[in-house]
Amino acid sequence: MKKYLSTFAGSAICGGAAFGIWPELWKSYGLMGGWLAATLIIGIMWYLNHYNGAIRNPEGKVWLDQGWCIGAAGIAWGIVRFQGDISAFFLAAPTLICCMIGGALAGVTVWVIRSCQTRLDKEESKI
Amino acid sequence: MSEWLQTYNELWGMYNAGIITSIFGAFAVTFTVLMCWPKLVKDFGPIGGFIAAALIIGTFWVINHKLPGYGFSTGLLLDAENLPMQFSLIHQGARGSAPWVDMGFAIATGFVFADLLCAPKGTRWALTKEAFPRWVVIVIGGIVGGVLVGLTGYTNAAL
Repeated sequence: MKKYLSTFAGSAICGGAAFGIWPELWKSYGLMGGWLAATLIIGIMWYLNHYNGAIRNPEGKVWLDQGWCIGAAGIAWGIVRFQGDISAFFLAAPTLICCMIGGALAGVTVWVIRSCQTRLDKEESKI
Repeated sequence: MSEWLQTYNELWGMYNAGIITSIFGAFAVTFTVLMCWPKLVKDFGPIGGFIAAALIIGTFWVINHKLPGYGFSTGLLLDAENLPMQFSLIHQGARGSAPWVDMGFAIATGFVFADLLCAPKGTRWALTKEAFPRWVVIVIGGIVGGVLVGLTGYTNAAL
């Protein structure tokens, strides 16, 4: 359990920071506020979670991005902040499915590109 | 065709065109992050991560998540049916009243798919089993953080 403590803390801070700051900056400064929020929140939280390794990501294993905790926090924040009940999750499900389909497509595309690259490298080393 | 695109899909909670743009927006940001972020960090170290956060996430936030309103004006613009207009690629469901879905889900899913598919065959199931508890902890952590920040909604603060 202890080894997951830093993962838990890092992801809770990341989720809280993203949705405590982002909407307020957007409401104050419009589009540029959102852009600034990305720089501040994602930059600092990436430094905390991934560069300094608050979220456990052992070498050679599946990379779990801080996107998971920001996304989960977004839905939980939306439900609690606007005092909906938990069934409001089903309203968000279609967008969630679309997001995951798009992300999975990109993952598959990157895999195809990388495997083409390794095949080319092998063919070149044969010559 | 244009008729179908403008139709509001009651089951899905968004316009049919919104379904296509949501998938495309998720694809675009995920592909860019997967291709560029690790390379930027390799080239520039931690500074590369900050550059990536500002340039990739910041810019894709504008295209994927900008809320109704132009520039500095954040007032909601309404469409012909008096609903808030969504100019973003990733549409929020239920006429914009659904809990916020972030493009972080897309990026995170993309990393999992790319890593699992690039792993040699036969190791994929073991990798999934190894990652699952970490995934559960991250999602629970995110939910806790979101709930704690969301509690501000109960303080009568007019934010």
